[in-house]
Amino acid sequence: MVDGKSSAGEGGSLAHNPPAVSVRGLWKVYGPNPLSIVGSPDAKLSRSELRAKTGCTAAVSDVSFDVAPGEVFVVMGLSGSGKSTLIRCLTRLVEPTAGEIFLDGEDISKATPERLRELRRQHFSMVFQHFGLLPHRKVIDNIAYPLEINGMKKAERHARANEVIELVGLHGYAHAFPEQLSGGMQQRVGLARALAVDPQVLFLDEPFSALDPLIRRDMQQEIIRLHRELGKTMVFITHDLSEAVKVGDRIAIMRDGAVVQIGTPEELVANPLDDYVANFVRDIAKSHVLTLKYLARPAMPGDEIDGPEPSQARMSCA
Amino acid sequence: MRHFKKSHLLIGVGLVWVALSRIFQGEHTLELATADNTAFTTSVGDVAASIRGNRTKSSAFIYFFNPIRAAINGFVEIIRSIISVPSGNSIIPVIGWFGVVAIVALAVYATSKLRTALLVVSLLMACGALGMWQFTMDTLAMTIASVLLSLLFGIPLGIWAGLSDRVLKILTPFLDLAQILPTLVYLAPLALFFLIGTASATIATMVYSIPIAIRITAHAIRNLNQSPIEAALSMGSTPKQTLTKVQLPMAKQMIILGINQTVMAALSFVVIAALIGAPGLGKPVVDALIIRNVGQGFVAGFAVVFVAILLDRSTSAAAKAQEGFIPMTPHQIRGRRIKRAIAGLAAIAAIFASRSVLSLAVWPGSINIAQQVEDVTNHVTKWVTTNLYIFTVGFKDFISNWVLNPIETLLAFSPWFVTMSAIVLIAAVIGGIRVAMLATGLLALIVLSGLWHEAMITLTQTIVATLLTMSIGIALGIWVGRSVRAERIVRPFLDAGQTLPAFVYLIPMLGLFGPTRFTAIATGIVYSIPVVVKIVSEGIRAVPVAMIEAATVAGSTIRQIITKVQLPAAKKAILLATNQGMIFVLAVVVIGGFVGSGGLGYLVILGGSKPDLQGKGLVAGFAILLLGVTIDRIAQASARRT
Repeated sequence: MVDGKSSAGEGGSLAHNPPAVSVRGLWKVYGPNPLSIVGSPDAKLSRSELRAKTGCTAAVSDVSFDVAPGEVFVVMGLSGSGKSTLIRCLTRLVEPTAGEIFLDGEDISKATPERLRELRRQHFSMVFQHFGLLPHRKVIDNIAYPLEINGMKKAERHARANEVIELVGLHGYAHAFPEQLSGGMQQRVGLARALAVDPQVLFLDEPFSALDPLIRRDMQQEIIRLHRELGKTMVFITHDLSEAVKVGDRIAIMRDGAVVQIGTPEELVANPLDDYVANFVRDIAKSHVLTLKYLARPAMPGDEIDGPEPSQARMSCA
Repeated sequence: MRHFKKSHLLIGVGLVWVALSRIFQGEHTLELATADNTAFTTSVGDVAASIRGNRTKSSAFIYFFNPIRAAINGFVEIIRSIISVPSGNSIIPVIGWFGVVAIVALAVYATSKLRTALLVVSLLMACGALGMWQFTMDTLAMTIASVLLSLLFGIPLGIWAGLSDRVLKILTPFLDLAQILPTLVYLAPLALFFLIGTASATIATMVYSIPIAIRITAHAIRNLNQSPIEAALSMGSTPKQTLTKVQLPMAKQMIILGINQTVMAALSFVVIAALIGAPGLGKPVVDALIIRNVGQGFVAGFAVVFVAILLDRSTSAAAKAQEGFIPMTPHQIRGRRIKRAIAGLAAIAAIFASRSVLSLAVWPGSINIAQQVEDVTNHVTKWVTTNLYIFTVGFKDFISNWVLNPIETLLAFSPWFVTMSAIVLIAAVIGGIRVAMLATGLLALIVLSGLWHEAMITLTQTIVATLLTMSIGIALGIWVGRSVRAERIVRPFLDAGQTLPAFVYLIPMLGLFGPTRFTAIATGIVYSIPVVVKIVSEGIRAVPVAMIEAATVAGSTIRQIITKVQLPAAKKAILLATNQGMIFVLAVVVIGGFVGSGGLGYLVILGGSKPDLQGKGLVAGFAILLLGVTIDRIAQASARRT
């Protein structure tokens, strides 16, 4: 059911290009005999009931969605909703119990350890909530790390690292150590490191949740700028709806491991599918999200194209 | 409800035990005269003798034990010939005393501060002035050799155990056992296979210090911040890349701290290993203890203390140098380079001088204050024992008459089956049926060994020393845990107390209390209080501030906060401290066999010197092990059950 909604094809791009990331029926169940839960009627139970009955917890249950190339896809939910497990399944830091994950048409969930390493080194990278920087390495060597493990020569990888340092606004910090930097600057290092290999897809796991509100706003702007400049496909996890609305092309709302609704910010605000979503989006000022474009219907034959007289209105339409 | 019942059960067991003990006093105590053997101990002695006889014939010796012994002997001799014994055709070691002092000082200076370097120099010179230069160098050589070998095995195993749950699971029982095992126990069996001498001593030291290296290394790897590791994996690092580029660099500081602990453990064991022929400072300590010459013991004891401080300061300075990941500025780096270059050149010059000038090669005999130190300490000891008689002997007699004797009567002079049943019942109440069954098995083995009575004597001393240790240690621990100032005052003593070899404590105690059971108990108390205070104070400090604030706002007095909030919240730490304290006490109480504590420890020591009692000594060592495991299991069960 989730499936049908997501691929309905808002934003024309999806209809024409194959998705960059495609997830089908993904499950992650913790507990004894996890496979028995997948697709069984028990999976419909609430979390506590499932736990009481089988001793299992479904951290991710039957999740499917597509992400178009160049799209920023936000997964949003409260803590414990399974979003962090979901993104770890996508990168196989956590092994999914069942399901398929296609990256450019290749099923990551079936990749051998060698192929998985290759994918991680070249095709996608990840940004972490707690940065995950190596404390014993300078900024430049942190950023060059993924290139280093790929066997790139020192001069070459430092040249590339310097490019990315400029890109993310870390000019002058190349030889600092992580613990000498503020949280915001550390996450810029994390971003730079993820961008160093020029990946096709960027996975961001609550990248700004550990930052102060003001810095968080700067970093949100930064990610929007980077997305505009580089056009990377991004899967972005957050628990903050205003962040989701700000950076996301489409948003998936998760609860108890399952996706409740997927849609553009406008759709979520205008047509929440249930009370849970409605509750979420209630505090978002509709005027921030709903543009005239969303409210207006496409022009039909016979419609008056010209607006009424006062010349100002005409100017703004043009 | 359950708790209520438990304490009543324990009191019930105690009352019945006392009553039965009164009725059957002195019957079936399984006493065995010191010089007597049982059939079992005789046959163990025969087996030992046949092993000894097979040294040149059996292939196990020719292809396994003897080559190992030869290799280790050779390794230790190389290090000794550098700093301690004449090398090759020369009459001096490769490096004379002046060179050694210079190298140690300059090495410490290069990694740390000038002050530490000066301290290290004066400590080494003091060892020389005490007439202990050669012994000191032997101890250093033995310690260095054992530490190098321990790290060679310990760090890789530790890394493996840090990475793999399975390896950790396999290693843990051995690591636990090595921690419970009193040091005295494995000397004799090792000497049986590797002969008395440096090889046995080195291996015994390794058995003692490898577990520490393994534990700390594994802990360092396991407790790293996981987020950089996850990040490294997400970027496609291979396991090897993750280990060498992420985990090891991050764990480095902690692993170096582990080296410090390994060094201190090795030192304390090298001193005790004098009993199986380790060269070094342990020898004069043992000699002095045997002839009960406190002054002479002090001379050697001081040298041991100096070496301990020296090793602790220099290795912890190296660990501190690793703190933080922020590098030095180019200016600092240049300064350090110059410092190191000068230090290196000076060291080479000093080595050269120590090889060409005789008075810089061999410690000049004219600089010797040993006799003066011996006289002064003997004098002070005499003064204390005559003038403070009332405190030393008074305290000793008080404890002996009112605590030691009644408990000894109950444990050792009741019929063995009464004592055993009582212990098993207590184990059942505290730890449940499984612990009780384990205790039954272990105690039955002690009975079968024929050394039940001696084991109960040792158990008595362990219990009394633990009771005293805990009452002092908990009080001190509360004080230290509650007051930052107290912590600052007491901390240096705790640190010093934990680094000193247990053997050294025997010397002043012998001076104060003479050769009695109480000397062993007092030594055990002094030795184990630091660890108890440390654990208890950490437990008290770990009680959440919010809990104490809530109690204070509710109007509690300080006394109420301690008894109703902090102590109950720190209960786990206190039980852990009791367990640790008991194990420490047991280790020392058996060493007390040297100064008249009797019991199993005495039999072990006797077995080392009297051929016809060798079997009995080996059995006694095994009985100590059984006793230790019994105590540990019951104590751990009580900690687990709360």
